Amino acid sequence: MFSYLIRRIFIAVPLLLGVVFIVTASFDLIPGDPAALILGEFASESAVAELREELGLDRPLLVRYVDTVVNVVQGDLGRSLSDRRPVATILGETFPLTAQLAGTAIALVLIIGIPLGLAAATRPGSTVDNVIRVVSLAGLSMPVFWTGLVFMVIFSVNLGWTPVSGVGTWQHLILPSVTLALPSIAVIARMTRSTVLEVLREDFIRTARAKGISERSLLWKHMLRNAMIPIITVLGLQLGQMLGGAVLTETVFAWPGVGRLTVFAIFNRDYPLMQGVVMVLAMVYVGVNLLVDLSYGLFDPRVRYA
Amino acid sequence: MDVAEKEVLLDPNRTDRVVPARPASPHRPPADVPGAPTPPPFPEENPLRNLRTVFAALVVLALLAGVGLAQKTLTIARPTDPVSLDPHFETTAPGSWVFSQILEPLITVNQQMEIEGRLATDWEFIDDTRLRFTLRQGVTFHDGTPFNAEAVKYTWDRAWDEDRPGRWKSLAGPVEGIEIVDEFTVDLVARQPYGPLLLTATMPYTGVVSPTAAEEMGDEFGRGPVGTGPFSFVEWRSNDRITLEANDDYWGGRPNLDRVVFRTIPEEGARMLSLRAGEVDMVLMPTPSDLPGLEADPNFTVEGAPGVGVFYLAFNLEREAVSDVRVRQAVAHAIDRELIVEAILEGGGVLATSVIGEPVFGYKDMRLLERYPYDPERARELLEEAGYSRGSDGFMVDENGERLTLELLPSNGRSLKDREIAETLQEFLRQAGIDVEMDIFEWATTFELMRGATLEYDLNSFTWFTTTADADYTMYSNYVSTETPPESWNRWRYANDDVDEWLKAARASLDLDEREELYGMVQDQLAVDLPAIPLYGSYEVAALDASVEGFVAHPIQYLLNLHPVDIVD
Amino acid sequence: MSLPEPGAGGPASAPRGGVNEARRKAIRRFFGNKLGVAGAVIVLAFVLMAIFAPWLAPFDPADQSLLTRRQAPDATHWLGTDEFGRDILSRIIYGARVSLGVAIGSVGIGLLLGSVAGAIAGYLGGVVDTVVMRIMDLLLAFPYLLLAIVIVSALGPGMINTIIAIAVWTVPAFARVARSAVLQIKERDFVVAAMALGAKEQRVMRVHLLPNFGATLVVYASLYLAYAILMESALSFLGLGVQPPRASWAGMISNGRNYLTSAPHIATIPGIAIALAVLGFNLLGDAIRDVYDPRATKDG
Repeated sequence: MFSYLIRRIFIAVPLLLGVVFIVTASFDLIPGDPAALILGEFASESAVAELREELGLDRPLLVRYVDTVVNVVQGDLGRSLSDRRPVATILGETFPLTAQLAGTAIALVLIIGIPLGLAAATRPGSTVDNVIRVVSLAGLSMPVFWTGLVFMVIFSVNLGWTPVSGVGTWQHLILPSVTLALPSIAVIARMTRSTVLEVLREDFIRTARAKGISERSLLWKHMLRNAMIPIITVLGLQLGQMLGGAVLTETVFAWPGVGRLTVFAIFNRDYPLMQGVVMVLAMVYVGVNLLVDLSYGLFDPRVRYA
Repeated sequence: MDVAEKEVLLDPNRTDRVVPARPASPHRPPADVPGAPTPPPFPEENPLRNLRTVFAALVVLALLAGVGLAQKTLTIARPTDPVSLDPHFETTAPGSWVFSQILEPLITVNQQMEIEGRLATDWEFIDDTRLRFTLRQGVTFHDGTPFNAEAVKYTWDRAWDEDRPGRWKSLAGPVEGIEIVDEFTVDLVARQPYGPLLLTATMPYTGVVSPTAAEEMGDEFGRGPVGTGPFSFVEWRSNDRITLEANDDYWGGRPNLDRVVFRTIPEEGARMLSLRAGEVDMVLMPTPSDLPGLEADPNFTVEGAPGVGVFYLAFNLEREAVSDVRVRQAVAHAIDRELIVEAILEGGGVLATSVIGEPVFGYKDMRLLERYPYDPERARELLEEAGYSRGSDGFMVDENGERLTLELLPSNGRSLKDREIAETLQEFLRQAGIDVEMDIFEWATTFELMRGATLEYDLNSFTWFTTTADADYTMYSNYVSTETPPESWNRWRYANDDVDEWLKAARASLDLDEREELYGMVQDQLAVDLPAIPLYGSYEVAALDASVEGFVAHPIQYLLNLHPVDIVD
Repeated sequence: MSLPEPGAGGPASAPRGGVNEARRKAIRRFFGNKLGVAGAVIVLAFVLMAIFAPWLAPFDPADQSLLTRRQAPDATHWLGTDEFGRDILSRIIYGARVSLGVAIGSVGIGLLLGSVAGAIAGYLGGVVDTVVMRIMDLLLAFPYLLLAIVIVSALGPGMINTIIAIAVWTVPAFARVARSAVLQIKERDFVVAAMALGAKEQRVMRVHLLPNFGATLVVYASLYLAYAILMESALSFLGLGVQPPRASWAGMISNGRNYLTSAPHIATIPGIAIALAVLGFNLLGDAIRDVYDPRATKDG
């Protein structure tokens, strides 16, 4: 088990090196000069050149890449080009907020999505099944900036139940997390329905039924347990995407998380900040995948980590 | 001799603007009026405004009955967070809105475009390269450091640091820096005679910083600046909010507000909904189409002023098609600029009458509506004169039968409705037989392309702000033939010897009448040569809750005067 | 250690019976599925709408009339006008070309590249598997928006590049699904038997593997069509979608969202179009899955 963990974490190293290199190279590849962007429309080229030198942007790509890697190994993520604060500080401010939002949204997905899928699977083809399917697909198909603004109009302005936007209290979390969860609820409901149906067709369920096991125990002990593995896989993917920053949700609800940070870093060509963001995202990706894989063992004792 | 008192600073022919500059008189009520609290924030955020008003009245009554004083907090929503609160690193409006509450320059321009003293009480030109300021005495910084000539010199020296120059240094022209005369007198010195010198000293970036705080904090100064202004810094939560509180010892009197909170709400719709829900008191850059409704609603007010920015459609004179003035004239005739202002901007902008805004010193009406009225048929005739003929599909074609196609690089999300205007321009030009292809990128890419030594587009649309409110700031860098990118901003590659000469003379002169006449001649010439078609002038507008009083919009978008603002329920 | 991917718990038995008989059965099963037929009708309607847009649209979708902007639906403009006074119905009809084109194009490319890469990785295993899947990890771990902006900035904005930007993002998902499906099926008796009987690798892949993981991929593809439309909306939201005067449904929502309180139809009508299309694709996808899954009973 321990050596398995070590190996998994070791796999993350080339991934990190890879994403950092791609970020550094792609910021070189696309047009846009961070120094010019910082100084704005009205600055002269000599001022821009001075700033470029000051920020070390005049060094070749490989030098900057190696520099970053060396610093990261020493535990230094560098400083943002834009506001010169340590990248680690900025990530420390934004990531917990995104984790809060993503965590709440994933909880909603679990609480709402799985029961919906189960309800649909117990009576396939019924009206309940079809209503759930259509409603969840509708949730999947509306862009979040539309649903978000509609929710604001209804729940914040007309009913006055929740704050319009921003962070602070738990009430601030309601609208953005629901908005963010909606498409994933649809996906999880569909996935739950189809995997439960698959499992229901397996021989062991028939055997269990024939042996007279109660339906309730059948549902929990056999069906859900077996259906959980694919559901968790998809849940992991969804969580990874949400932690990667729900750019649109965060923008609409003025939520100062990683998504908006990513857009800021891209639009301002702030490559040290972007390097920090992708490193965290890559680690999140590895971490979520690891958790998903470990959780397989919970549901399927046959899985061995070796 | 106080130059400002003797001479007219801005347009001498306009009495409404001509006011001798003198120290701002501390006009404010004798003391804070107790018992006019804002309602508590959360349960009050009810859309049923009538109920809310009744409830608020009850709360006020209850408080008047002896519950005590509530804080007056003004919450302002705007789209972006600043990068830094130190003008050394930050020269954009979102930064200036905040740091200009904390850091004060020696002099400033008020909403009527008159020069007012802030940390200087008097100023006069000693000679044509030297401007002398008498400083205000008895002022202390928020950290207790006394304000004096040293602090002024420290602030300017900091920006002129060789290793790490301030971001605004390149905006200050041939300025050399500050020389100390005595503890409360300084000279601002230029290398050569420089007409815009006085207005340079009004730039919000020149706000004087506390030398002790700046030394101690280093780069951290940008996360919590210390100055002499009416408000002092409390807290900055990135991309969420910046909180300021009243400076009890402000030399101009304690502000009416206790706190000011700047919230970052990027989505336009969410900003407007926050105002309607009572979550914020003031929205900067509101949705234009919502303004008429807000104005009609007694719960809200709208405050605006024509600004110093102009949105242009610029031609790249190096490109063959638009190097022909008849083609440029045809484009001007093809666009119904009045309709664009009315239907797209809907009160968020005014019809531009020159390449610089009306409040700017040196402005002259280019009479563009008379010269180039909307007339698509005239546009086609001009194109025919230029050698194009009408093709079968409605587009104009050249002698080889090639469709007249112009490539447009529009700014996107950089100024109000820029993308929408690009889309409308495309359609207006199509009606006149010109095919427009456009590339919409995010700003970083667009900006890089605009700054390039060669511009691979025929047309470029963007807004230029004359931040110093002096025509030189825009005219010199944009129209002198040698000021081409990337070093400067003559993006249209405009070259006219007369214009070069006039602009250089205007820059070197200290005679305001002479300067104004020269800039007038330049604008007349630009109306004929037409290197750019001005489309709309910026309109600095804020939507406010009706309880906010005393706010007057400033033509310069960087400036936000919150000192006299009050909240009265 | 790799475990089954979602929905990969596919079929267990080899296709049996004659090809023609199987096809007839499949068709019969498909038409027995009412929702599936409804989905097919919706998708067909949208596709026809896109193809015959010039004949169907009552107005030129680019024709602006600023004086009659943001009008509610009436007898002339059945679905009202947008913020430029353009006819929304005509833009919806023409927008189908862009939105469906982007969705089908990007998912098609992603499906093709992803499933081939994934199937090869799963089938061959070893070093090939490791290399392919590490590349996919890299793509998955990378913020998709950065990827899209890099592609759009490097190649220029436009419909084709939007398709490429979204396709790159969908590749790893399909690769993973295909790989795990192949891994699973490879172990099943009928494949082992076929290989033991000396069937050529190509034939094993074509005859036995493809039809079996095809069903899973179809379900995934129908979900990703929705994602692709939403991705395009994210790019439109940032102003990087297809270029004007072309219309896309998501772009219409994005541009109309500022008028949500004063003229809600501008953003809502294209939203309904997207919802219908997503619904159609998914109903159709489910039905196809059921048809291909020999064990699927009447479970919708």
